[in-house]
Amino acid sequence: MKLELGVNREFCEPLLELKHVTKYYHGAAPALEDINFSVAEGEFISVIGPSGAGKSTLLRCINRMIEATSGEISFDGVLISKLKKRDLRKLRTRIGMIFQHYNLVDKLSVIENVLHGRLGYKSTLAGVMGRYSPEEKQQAMRIIDLLGLHDQVYKRCDQLSGGQKQRVGIARALIQDPKLILCDEPIASLDPNSAKIIMDHLRDVSAQMGITVIVNLHQVSAALKYSDRIIGVNQGKIVFDGSPSALTAEKIAEIYGSESNDLMVELGERYAI
Amino acid sequence: MKKIEEAIIPSKPLTRESFTMWILLLVLSLLTIYALATIDYTSVDMGKAMADTLNNFKTIFFHPAAHRLSLWDAFYEVLITMGLAFLTTLFGGIIAMLLGLLAAQNLAPKQVTNIIKGFVAFIRAVPSILWVLIFAVAAGLGSVAAVIGLTFHSVSYLTKAYSESFEELDRSVIEALMASGANWWQIIFQAVIPSSVSSLLSWTFMRFEINFANAVAMGAAAGAAGIGFDLFMDSGFYFDLREIGLVTYFIIAFALVLETISTNLKSKILLKKA
Repeated sequence: MKLELGVNREFCEPLLELKHVTKYYHGAAPALEDINFSVAEGEFISVIGPSGAGKSTLLRCINRMIEATSGEISFDGVLISKLKKRDLRKLRTRIGMIFQHYNLVDKLSVIENVLHGRLGYKSTLAGVMGRYSPEEKQQAMRIIDLLGLHDQVYKRCDQLSGGQKQRVGIARALIQDPKLILCDEPIASLDPNSAKIIMDHLRDVSAQMGITVIVNLHQVSAALKYSDRIIGVNQGKIVFDGSPSALTAEKIAEIYGSESNDLMVELGERYAI
Repeated sequence: MKKIEEAIIPSKPLTRESFTMWILLLVLSLLTIYALATIDYTSVDMGKAMADTLNNFKTIFFHPAAHRLSLWDAFYEVLITMGLAFLTTLFGGIIAMLLGLLAAQNLAPKQVTNIIKGFVAFIRAVPSILWVLIFAVAAGLGSVAAVIGLTFHSVSYLTKAYSESFEELDRSVIEALMASGANWWQIIFQAVIPSSVSSLLSWTFMRFEINFANAVAMGAAAGAAGIGFDLFMDSGFYFDLREIGLVTYFIIAFALVLETISTNLKSKILLKKA
């Protein structure tokens, strides 16, 4: 596997690279310990692991919503860890983020929430006044159509179902014109049907638009089905990094520790799909 | 079925807390009875005093009349009082908006919110009339002291109300917008204020009504002009019960009109948002 990455590097710089990233919260045990991996453009990566393994922390360190204690993260040739506030803001516009609880402004309409994704590109004043150009509005409508939310454009977000809200979340990330989308448990609060729709959309985003996608997942089956590559995290350390086909039952046991017995069933689903 | 009938409902156990509570209530009721029984009325005959008071009320409320003030004068004076209420709510609202943003836990660092919330709680703990009298030391008794004092108290009241309205928007939504590169002011105006606009409005109207009542009192207590001053003159200098009745009715009428307008405005804005 390392060989493969080596080959990749010769062709182009990796889009994202983490070197020795470590994060300590107040406790003695690190939330992340010496995380190293690099991501090529257009990859679809799932991060799996038990609750509290540090998946969310890992994702948030990438766009510096959480500051890593030490280590280097570079994105698109820029060293993220050294950026000043204004440059960080500029960089964040190129990284979309999707959340388990959608994190939309409930009292605003779908289109208003989608257009929020453009705020990072605006001057403070234009953003405060909410002035969006006709092109931005058209782009928002295109993305909304693409995600099948055409009939909901002017609905308030608190009137939408969970699956629809998450699609608004995806639309808000897409309108940023991102190179990378980080998804923090995007389907953990959804029913299986909506979850499938969301995962399908994410795969399309990656396959058709060439946007790199990193997804934190609880469902091993979804990770196996959708990803190009799976990263297994346990107690803040990467314990597995490879293609879905390399993820054996023993590896899953290693990632999930004692929780793994129930997951064996899910592994069986791989062959059912 | 039988089992259910046989089941014993356990009586509430007598804990130390409830025991203390019962003792406290008992002592307080005994003290009340003792005080009422031994109160010194001196020369006041309770029955006669009650009757006289009711008689005064009858004059005030059933025979209102204008002597000193013409109807137009009374109306104009109420407008002045209204102006006092409007001005203090406007100043208070603008300042409180800024302080409210800094006092909301989802928008500002914890130390800042704690300092502002503590400061504002201190101002609120002192009654507004007292603030007016404190500012009267510098500004002299009159409308200036009343405006400053009432504004001061409005700021503290509205800061608390506004900051709690802002806190309705979840921290995670703000995090999501930060992650997309939006800055603080953009998030405030595009997410926080739109989410809380209806509660901001209802708190502001609420304070306007409170300030109207306060402005009447300020007219009397701090010589801040307006209808309150006339009320004070009628009661304290002219002993003109009938005119007191008239003024009271004017104030009630205006309060009702205010209430109606604010209710209508609120429902209109809420409908538009929905």
